Amino acid sequence: MKRLIELSVNGEAYELAVEPNATLDEVLRDQIGLTGTKVSCGTGECGTCTVLIDGRPILSCLALAVDCQKQLILTIEGLSAGEKLTGMQQAFHDCGAIQCGFCTPGMVLSSTALLEVNSRPSTREIKKALEGHLCRCTGYNKIIEAVQQAAEQMPPKAK
Amino acid sequence: MSANGKDPQQLAYVGQRILRKDGPEKVTGRAKYTGDIHLPGTLVGRILRSPHPHARILNIDVSRAQRLKGVQAVITARDTAGIKHGFVETPRYPPDQNPLATDRVRFVGEEVAAVAATDHYIAQEALSLIQVDYEALPAVFDPEEAMQLGAPEIHPTHPKVKEPRVNIAGKTEAEWGNVEDGFNQSDYVREDRFESHLRTHGYLEPQITLASFEPAGKLNIWTSSMGPFLKRAKLARTLDLPFSAVRVQKAWVGGAFGGKVDLFSHEFCAALLSMKSGRPVKIEASREEIFAAYRHGQPLIVEVKTGVKKDGTLVAQQFRIINNCGAYRGSGVVVIFLVWGFIMVPYRLPYLKYEGYSVYTNNPVRAPQRGHGAPQLRFAVDSQLDMIAEELGLDPIEIRLKNSREPGETLPNGDSVHNCGLRECIEKAAERTRFQQKYSQNRSAAPSDGSRRRGIGIGVSSYMSGTLIYPNSSSAMVKMNDDGTVTLLTGALDIGQGAETILSQIVAEELKIPVEEIQVIAADTETTPVDIGSWISGNAYVTGNATRVASTEVRKKLLDMAAEEMEANVMDLALGDKYVYVDGSPEHKLSYRQLVAASIQKHRGDSIIGEGHWRTMRDEPFHPSLASTKGRWTENYAFDAQVAEVEVDIDTGQVRLIRAVTAHDCGFPINPLLVEGQVDGQVSMALGHALMEEVLMEEGRTLNPSWLEYRMPTIHEVTLSENIDVITEQYKKDAPYRTKEVGEGLVSAILAAIANAIYDAVGVRLYSTPFTPEKILRGLGKIKEVPKMPKMS
Repeated sequence: MKRLIELSVNGEAYELAVEPNATLDEVLRDQIGLTGTKVSCGTGECGTCTVLIDGRPILSCLALAVDCQKQLILTIEGLSAGEKLTGMQQAFHDCGAIQCGFCTPGMVLSSTALLEVNSRPSTREIKKALEGHLCRCTGYNKIIEAVQQAAEQMPPKAK
Repeated sequence: MSANGKDPQQLAYVGQRILRKDGPEKVTGRAKYTGDIHLPGTLVGRILRSPHPHARILNIDVSRAQRLKGVQAVITARDTAGIKHGFVETPRYPPDQNPLATDRVRFVGEEVAAVAATDHYIAQEALSLIQVDYEALPAVFDPEEAMQLGAPEIHPTHPKVKEPRVNIAGKTEAEWGNVEDGFNQSDYVREDRFESHLRTHGYLEPQITLASFEPAGKLNIWTSSMGPFLKRAKLARTLDLPFSAVRVQKAWVGGAFGGKVDLFSHEFCAALLSMKSGRPVKIEASREEIFAAYRHGQPLIVEVKTGVKKDGTLVAQQFRIINNCGAYRGSGVVVIFLVWGFIMVPYRLPYLKYEGYSVYTNNPVRAPQRGHGAPQLRFAVDSQLDMIAEELGLDPIEIRLKNSREPGETLPNGDSVHNCGLRECIEKAAERTRFQQKYSQNRSAAPSDGSRRRGIGIGVSSYMSGTLIYPNSSSAMVKMNDDGTVTLLTGALDIGQGAETILSQIVAEELKIPVEEIQVIAADTETTPVDIGSWISGNAYVTGNATRVASTEVRKKLLDMAAEEMEANVMDLALGDKYVYVDGSPEHKLSYRQLVAASIQKHRGDSIIGEGHWRTMRDEPFHPSLASTKGRWTENYAFDAQVAEVEVDIDTGQVRLIRAVTAHDCGFPINPLLVEGQVDGQVSMALGHALMEEVLMEEGRTLNPSWLEYRMPTIHEVTLSENIDVITEQYKKDAPYRTKEVGEGLVSAILAAIANAIYDAVGVRLYSTPFTPEKILRGLGKIKEVPKMPKMS
């Protein structure tokens, strides 16, 4: 029996009828049509499907959509305004941290969340933040470089 | 040169660190992969797989599944045209695999039936309602057991193989000189055996296909692949449709690494289910299915006997290679050919005798995997070369320089190595790492860091850059648009390596137009010309040269038109910033936009379109023989030397790769930024190969079908990866260029280098991959008993 839920995704409210066992990635991709969230294993092992909930990275393949109400969900589509990339997106692009691009949305979201709480992360802290994300193309070197570059170029936060 | 105008050879786009064209799309989530394409009314397809490694199918009853509400189509072999397919389809090696099993299954996971239903719950339920009666048959998993008379017969031994052996899928034999003469001339001879294990590609995007059959007879396909033209050919053939009835279109691809070439049963099933149901059908493999039933890489046994002179000069080598190809040929008969090639190229070798066997077993079919045999072979040869060097009192650099190919050498098969940069690669990698100062020092030094020891090792490798296998050629079209921008039509598929970016750079260079103003229409069998595909490492060379020729034709038309309009001599004209201008007086100019308009007006509607074609080995009618190796292989060899520095913990047996230095001759890098990405990715993949990854199988069943149990490198395993470009070629206007591959040759030498570095660190010589803590501790004498391990398949 479907339930009626309300999700806040990228600043917009969606009223949706979902199965109680529908996962967030399914609802985002199949019902709302936000296919920027990629799914690679479906069992929480690779980090690909990461989205931010109230600023924190979660695995959308393991989250039930019905549990995500009254929270702010941010997907990769909600990160940049129009064609203008965020500093993190631009850094991934500039540093060659993107190849096949399948891990990219999750990587960029987790990296963005990291800089929100730690604007000058050490390499160790970057690795800790991204340890749940698999990338098979880059060997991770240029991903670390991108996060470092984004941090360096980030304007100091207004207090 | 009239086509050239006054263009200087100075390069503005080729050779530059141009950012990926697809970067913004991918980093914003707008890039559409196959799974992101939604067609109204799409059904979910699922596949029923064999639970047995070897069994006769007595009966299949699908009636209950068909009656389930929501099921729109069910197919078994009976619904197919009964046409087999194979990775190789030649008179010697005809196709041997049915898209759905007919009377027998030969591996756990073999496709037996498929359903399409309105949702995945119903599809799954339908699978459970299909009743298949099997009669189990004896099975065999180890290739050496499978070769012995009396082993269960999976397929008849190849008719051309006259030895008293069974299950031989194919054999490659090659010889130059009489190898016994070579051994007689040698001062030192040794024999070793090396084994490599089963690994998988680890592409993040799952295998997925969307098929939509239109009532008028057109089959539309989107599939995660390595090139649409090969998929079209194999789908059309197995579905018994004309090529023109099948259209394979582009979607972005989330990694392939060799694992998405060739036809897969799910692609065939999605297509046939769509034809039966009249609705679009999508089949996506689960990660568990990919691990347990899809194609992984090629494990090899390498037996090598080598004879050398006292000074380390290689004289003779004899090889016996055994490949476990699984239940159908797959790429097994290709890998035993390629391994011969990977022996032939980097080191001079006067005498060779080579025998390679590909052997059927009751394991899943195998596919190419980045390097396709090279890592396994180079691990064996370069490990043994270090042992020989040690016996003879030579250092690893010296023995490699002594045997390294030099520019201009002709190989035993008639190919030329052209401007081979191998010597320089070895020298530069050694110099950058101060190899000779470090080598054999740390091991004997007093332990300065507790239980950790450091070691350094080197390997070399060479890889072909495109060879003659269908479609083996590439055509490209470049057309001017009314607004002065350019559109490139290419059949090439960007699988993450950056194909669209480097092709755009070539167009940009030839037409002096920013990369951003070039639109790429790619990888659509209907609207783009045929292309080699993103495999056999031919994209930069074959597709690139086709694109260059097409662009040159456009440039010539622009210059001719400008000369006519300005009443100038083409020789006095130059291109820049979307204008053709008189060299020396840039105020006399016409924009591309004006030139297109003028051409349409004055040249009977010619809107300025160029076309180009390229084929590797352009004058060779055929590809080399897989069985005898006769015939030319490629005209374009890439070379590399890689140095590994490792740290080994003698208490735990753990190895860390702390530095990898890659010196490689890729001709010239079209885009150094993308080249670095290829180098880093390959080093990481080799690290996984060496130290972490193994698909464990027992009796044909996969024991670790997930990323929790199959450990791929994470960000914690990132390695300091350094890149040295050894430039041996140039890109020049109006001349073919000879850039070399850089996408898969660099997973090989580094594997040998890691093995050699471990030996340098702790004195443990490893004869099999992966280099596990158990093997190292056993080598150190810290584990006495041999633990029972699952059988390697």
